Order: sequence, then C-alpha cells, then structure tokens
Amino acid sequence: MGYLQAITILSGCNLLAVMGMAVLTGYTGLFSIGHAGFMALGAYMGGILAKELGWHLVPCLLGAGMFSGIISLGIGYPAFRSRLRGDYFAIATLGFAEALRLLLNNIHSIGKIRLGGAYGYMDLPLLKDMTFLPDWAVVVLVCLIALWVTHMFVTSQYGMNCIAIRQDEAAAQMMGVDLLRTKLLALFVSAFLAAIGGALLAFYFGYINPSFFGIQRSSDLLAAVVFGGIQSLIGPTITAILIVAVPQLLLTFAIYRFIVYGLLFVVVMVFRPEGLFGYVQMNSRWITRLWRRNPASGME
Amino acid sequence: MDSQTPSSTPILELRDLTVDFGGVRAVNSFNMAVAPGELVGLIGPNGAGKTTVFNLITNAYHATSGQILMEGKNLRGLSPDRLCHRGISRTFQNIRLFPFMTAYENVELSIHSAPQYSLFEAFVRLPRARRKQQESRARAHQLLETVGLEKFAHARAGSLPYGLQRRLEIARAMAASPRILLLDEPAAGMNEDECKDLVNLIRQIHESQGYTIIMIEHHMAVVMDLCRRSRIYVMQLGANLATGGPEQIQNDPQVIKAYLGERKNVH
Repeated sequence: MGYLQAITILSGCNLLAVMGMAVLTGYTGLFSIGHAGFMALGAYMGGILAKELGWHLVPCLLGAGMFSGIISLGIGYPAFRSRLRGDYFAIATLGFAEALRLLLNNIHSIGKIRLGGAYGYMDLPLLKDMTFLPDWAVVVLVCLIALWVTHMFVTSQYGMNCIAIRQDEAAAQMMGVDLLRTKLLALFVSAFLAAIGGALLAFYFGYINPSFFGIQRSSDLLAAVVFGGIQSLIGPTITAILIVAVPQLLLTFAIYRFIVYGLLFVVVMVFRPEGLFGYVQMNSRWITRLWRRNPASGME
Repeated sequence: MDSQTPSSTPILELRDLTVDFGGVRAVNSFNMAVAPGELVGLIGPNGAGKTTVFNLITNAYHATSGQILMEGKNLRGLSPDRLCHRGISRTFQNIRLFPFMTAYENVELSIHSAPQYSLFEAFVRLPRARRKQQESRARAHQLLETVGLEKFAHARAGSLPYGLQRRLEIARAMAASPRILLLDEPAAGMNEDECKDLVNLIRQIHESQGYTIIMIEHHMAVVMDLCRRSRIYVMQLGANLATGGPEQIQNDPQVIKAYLGERKNVH
C-alpha cells in the first residue's frame, strides 16, 4: 500500500506541473523546455516558507506558486515583448532552468537559510506532519482542486483567448486579444501550478536536491502534454500519471524508457500530431468518447 | 448613408499614407477619407496595394510615413488589439478563422476578447462571470443568425465550406462591435448567386448596424451594386488613381486603361 501511495504522490506532483504545461503549451501554444525550473522555484520557496518561517501548508503552497509565477513574468515579459518566435521562448526557458539548477547547485546558504548547494536542502517539514490528512490524500485533494480551477480557467474568456493565440496569433490580435497580457497570464498560471507540484514534492521527501529538476524532468513534462494532446486537460492528466506510474511499475524495464519515449514521440507526431486526446475537453462526454475511440484506433 | 459630402468629419482618414518594403514602395502617398456610415469600395488591379492599406490601418504593417486618423485622432502606433477595441474590425483575404474552434466559439471569442470579468471570477465562476458568459452566448447566436449560420453554430470552423467561412468571418468581425468594418474581398471565390446573397447580407448589416464599411473587392458587380450611392477608390501601384461613384469610375479613361479595360477583354 505504501508503494502505491508513493506512486500516487509522485504522479500527483508531476500532474500539477503537467497541468501547467497543458495551459502553456496545449492551450496557448508556447513551448517550454525548462518547466522543471518553475518546479524547483516552488520546491525551494515552499521549503523556505515552511522550514524557516513555519508557515502552514496552504499558505506555503500559495506562496511558492506566487513566487514562481512572478519570476516567470520576468522571463516571459522580455521574451514575449520582443516578439521572439515561439522556439526562442522555449530556449529562454531552457536557459532559465539550467541557470537556476546550477545556481542552486552552488548556493550553500542565503543568510541563515542553508540551502545546501548540491547536497540538497534538508530537514524540511513532512507533508504528513503538516496536516491531519494522510500525505497521499493531500496530494490528491490539491490535484483535484487544481484540475477544477484549471478547467475553469481554460473554459473562461481568458482561456478562449489562449486558444485563439495558439490557432492564429495574428488573427487573435486583430480580433482584440492582447497578446502580451494573455501569454503572460498563461505563463503565470503554468508556473504557479508547476511550483505547487514542486513544493509538494519537497514536503513529501522532506528533502530536495537541484538534480531533481534537471532537463530530464522538463522533457518529461513536455512529453506528457505532447502525448496527452493539445487543447485538452484530460489527455495530459492521463499521460502525466502514466509517465510516472508505468516506469515505476515496470521498474526492470525503466532503463529502456527513453527508447520507448523516442519511438512514441515519433509515432504520435506522425499519426496523431494533435496528441492522443487532442481537443478532448474535460466533461462527462469524454468517458463515452474514450470508450468508443479506444478499441477503434487501438492506441497504446 | 449616401453621404457624398466629404466635408463632414471623416470617421477614418488616411493622409499621404506610405509604406516601403525594402526598396519597394507598396503604398505611395495614399489618401482616403470616409464619412461615418459610408460604404466605400476599394478596387484596383492585383498588387495595387489594397490589402496593404488594410494592414496599415490595422497596424499589422507599420507605415513608413503618413497619417491614419480616426475622427481626427492619430491611430498610428496603436497595436492591432487596441485598434480593435477602438472600433476597427476586419476580415481577411485568405480566411483566418480559428479552425479548431466551433463557429460559435469564433464569434464568441471576438465578443469578449477583453474579458469582462476578473481572473478570480473566472477561476471560481462567480455569478457575474456566468452571466457575462450567457450574455455573450446570446449575442454570438444572434450574430450567427444574422449571417445565416445558426445551423452550423457547433460545427468546427475549419470544416465549413468556403462561402460559409467567409460569412463566419464577417460575423466574427461584427462581434467585436466595430464602428469601422474592413472587408477584404468578401466575395472572393463565390459564384454569382452567392455574390447576390452576399450583397444582400452586406447591405443589410450596413443598414441595420450603421457600420462604416470599407470593402476591397474584385467582383465588379458586387462593388458597383453596393457602392452605387457612395464612392469607390481606385488604386494603382500603391497610389490613388481615381475616386467617385460607380458611373464615374466606369467611365474614367484612366481606370479603364489601368483596370476595367483589361477585365473587359476577359469577359
């Protein structure tokens, strides 16, 4: 049971970041290959708020999210303002994540706060001690709330503007969509969610290390959205869980995971460029649609 | 509507509008003054710079020099989304709908491109956000009905036939509640019957909504019919060639030489 709980928690943390990616990449069409950086910001900030300032769980998570979100605006503003094409924004996020990882690797302490550099930030409060609920239940609860809120966002007028930008940026602007503001908003929401995932991860382990947030994790997050499907929340949700759970359950084959990833990437790109569940909205209909579509196309 | 009086304050005025692309002067000291509520045609041979003028008005291209005035106020330098909120809306020559949205969503997006409720209200769907969304839903359906697309409200825009996509573009442009509507070849690729329907549609929305409309069009029948009580601007090589009512234009020797003469040989 403990094993299953661990998988639940890990995939939950992953799911939060993937939801963020879904908003940014799946809905707004902006690619980030450094989203682990926002998780790292959330993990360290959450750790600082909880350990050094003794905050409770909810304010810790919100604080971590806000911090990461605000930093993300600092990256997004110059990138979007100078009308860098999408791929340059992706490079900017990559640079940010790597720079952050190296910084964290080499900063041993800020004042009295002992971040520990490459050894990692230790002795953080544990999730199970921070609330009266079991830790896996907290993660599931946070995921459900985040899923609901994100669903509300993408179906709101703000979310529609994001979708319009992905489908035709110039037309969206002509129809009155403020590109800069909408993109920054999507980035903020996605960094916020990723940070909450990172913070929960920190509280689960009670310890974090910069190497948790390498490029590998960033590409896992992107992969979840590309596989899961653009303009869909439910698709990335499923793949986010699979991406954590499947290698864990088939641990002996875990080393072959990258070969499988590579193959899957190519197959998905060729046969379903919109992803497995592209354009599938989260509502009750997807269950029946899933049922009908699965045997027909025989995917996965 | 039939304002032959350029003396009233123009709602849109272009003064010596010029743009260079590298060494090519695509628009050369172009002048235009449109009175409120007027329906003006903009014609000219291929490559004359008609669409470029639209792109300059909406600031998709930045003008090299000259002035773009809306009711006397300078519009140059405002971003396209700001211009849209100021009341300038357009359709595109090569249709640019949001192909994976439904027809309804295309129109609805344009109604609320500046969201009318706060982010927090969006997250928790407070009653106000829900009411705003209902309002825009009603208006979107009404607009779809205006252009005769109510049956296709939930069809994916990209899957609609060409003619309907053009109508949907008009509905989407109208959804932004413009005061000036720029139509870029609304009748392109349409047969004669479809053209007649389109003329009726444009006349109807012009008369019922009181828009100022500037229309680029190659179908002479469409332009001459719609602009019969107003004016047509003729462009050649980026500059003004002639301006006047349909009769006047059709009998202008320069226009015949540059434009209609060639077409007469074709037909």
